[in-house]
Amino acid sequence: MQLTDAERRILDGAGGEPRRLALQVLVKLGEACGAERMVEIASAHLVASSYQIAGEAGIAIYTQLAEQGARVVVRTTSDPGSIDFARWREFKTPAEYAARQTKIAELLDRMGVIPTWTCTPYTTFNVPHFGEHLGWSESSAVVFANSVIGARTNRLAAYVDLCAALTGRVPCFGLHLDEGRRGDVLFELDAELSADFADHHFPALGYLVGQVVKDRIPVILGIRRATLDQLKAFGAASAASGSVALYHMIGITPEARTLEEAFGSRTPTERMAVGRREIEAVMEQMGASEGPVDVVGVGCPHASIDQMARYAALLEGKRVHPNTQLWICTNVVVEEMARKMGYLDVIQRAGARLMVGTCHNDCPLEAWGFRRLATDSGKFAYYTPTTVGTECAFASTEACIRAAITGRVERR
Amino acid sequence: MSQGPIRFQGQGCAAGIFEGEVVLSKQPFGFWQGMDPQTGIVIDKRHDTCGLSIKDKAFVFPFGRGSTGTPGIFLEAVRNGCAPGAIVNVKSEPMIIMCAVLAEAFFRVTIPIVDGVEGDLARHLETGDRVRVDGSTGVIEVIGRG
Repeated sequence: MQLTDAERRILDGAGGEPRRLALQVLVKLGEACGAERMVEIASAHLVASSYQIAGEAGIAIYTQLAEQGARVVVRTTSDPGSIDFARWREFKTPAEYAARQTKIAELLDRMGVIPTWTCTPYTTFNVPHFGEHLGWSESSAVVFANSVIGARTNRLAAYVDLCAALTGRVPCFGLHLDEGRRGDVLFELDAELSADFADHHFPALGYLVGQVVKDRIPVILGIRRATLDQLKAFGAASAASGSVALYHMIGITPEARTLEEAFGSRTPTERMAVGRREIEAVMEQMGASEGPVDVVGVGCPHASIDQMARYAALLEGKRVHPNTQLWICTNVVVEEMARKMGYLDVIQRAGARLMVGTCHNDCPLEAWGFRRLATDSGKFAYYTPTTVGTECAFASTEACIRAAITGRVERR
Repeated sequence: MSQGPIRFQGQGCAAGIFEGEVVLSKQPFGFWQGMDPQTGIVIDKRHDTCGLSIKDKAFVFPFGRGSTGTPGIFLEAVRNGCAPGAIVNVKSEPMIIMCAVLAEAFFRVTIPIVDGVEGDLARHLETGDRVRVDGSTGVIEVIGRG
């Protein structure tokens, strides 16, 4: 790799041991991936902020770095932790487990990380702009930043994201380059589905697209309009069932005003027509379980203030079933705004709980013995059978809230 | 008993030398929720090596299913002395290579990785065979049959 004089000095130890080690890791990544140089980044986002991911190895690494005086040099935010810092007892988190997560929080604080504890840093203090280079890891945030905003980041691995934060650099390859951002696979919605595309079809289509493309770049034709929350839900599902880091939606996302722009000089390597039948089939696969439901999960990725307004409207004057838990996952910024807007009051009066700074997938839930989860999230649907160990029912947001109230999930 | 060549040429992705037993899988593998980092045992119920220990083994699988949390679990296994001793893939993704780079950077543990072996390696190897993996030259030699 071609390194600058400043980078060579860092490798010689002029910036201290943590930065030397961090840059050395990034150079090895760059060499393995054919990068010719480093690129400076505007921000970083760290996935190994959760004890569930980082474990004792992460605590050892963060302790070593913090004791050597490591400090991030760009704006850096944290992904969800494995506890709700304010309510972990309420969620039956073992005290020793909470203590280990708190230890990670202290170490990240010492390194100057902004404690957002969220998979949607772009709803807090980490808002990239078009064309900006980033060093982010959380898969749902990476796909949002690349696709919806048009910023540029590869899917960094746990700890490699911290190396980026400590040096302000990442190796320049893949999605940092124009030629790495062109579409590979074309998905065409048929006229009926296109005219009739519902809110819960976004995560379902994302799940389908991820399964088909794996780590290639999908291009979707036929979506007429989409909210930020719908794009967030689509991307998160595609990044879970596949490892999609960038998608293009013609007429919607910023690097895909036309098909020509999305594909560049390339032609699609594969095409797939998607209609009602394909969408129905993938929703079956995501979770066709029916019957009594003991836990309902919404807010994956973390709910926005718009979604909080929607949950509050659906829960107004209602009561969550005594045998069912409705947990709404979000970050502390949205929580505070929801409190000011009065949504929190409505939600809590209905007997639902906010799960702040974490989620069903990041938190140890063995003590609850859940058997069936209902969710409107493609990412939850993908991971929950292993993380929470439950059967899964995938349904629309309205159907999920209804399931929480009746205690049963009926899919249609 | 497997038949066929005893020396394979691939690409070295992470340096180091390993000698020991093979655990062979024909399916993609994700360490995140795929391996118990306290024991090195495969816990993914959908996987063809479920229940086997990959601790100190040459773990041979086609490619990784890489969650960004992969190094979290992997390094926890390294810290516990339960990580695989070497990794051999058809194609090693950056996420897997990073596991070896980070293991060396933070725990001074060397885990050679080789990918792109010519020919169908999986047809000439079995779980229990003994191999020597050189992560610099990309050479894999069978030194004993299981």
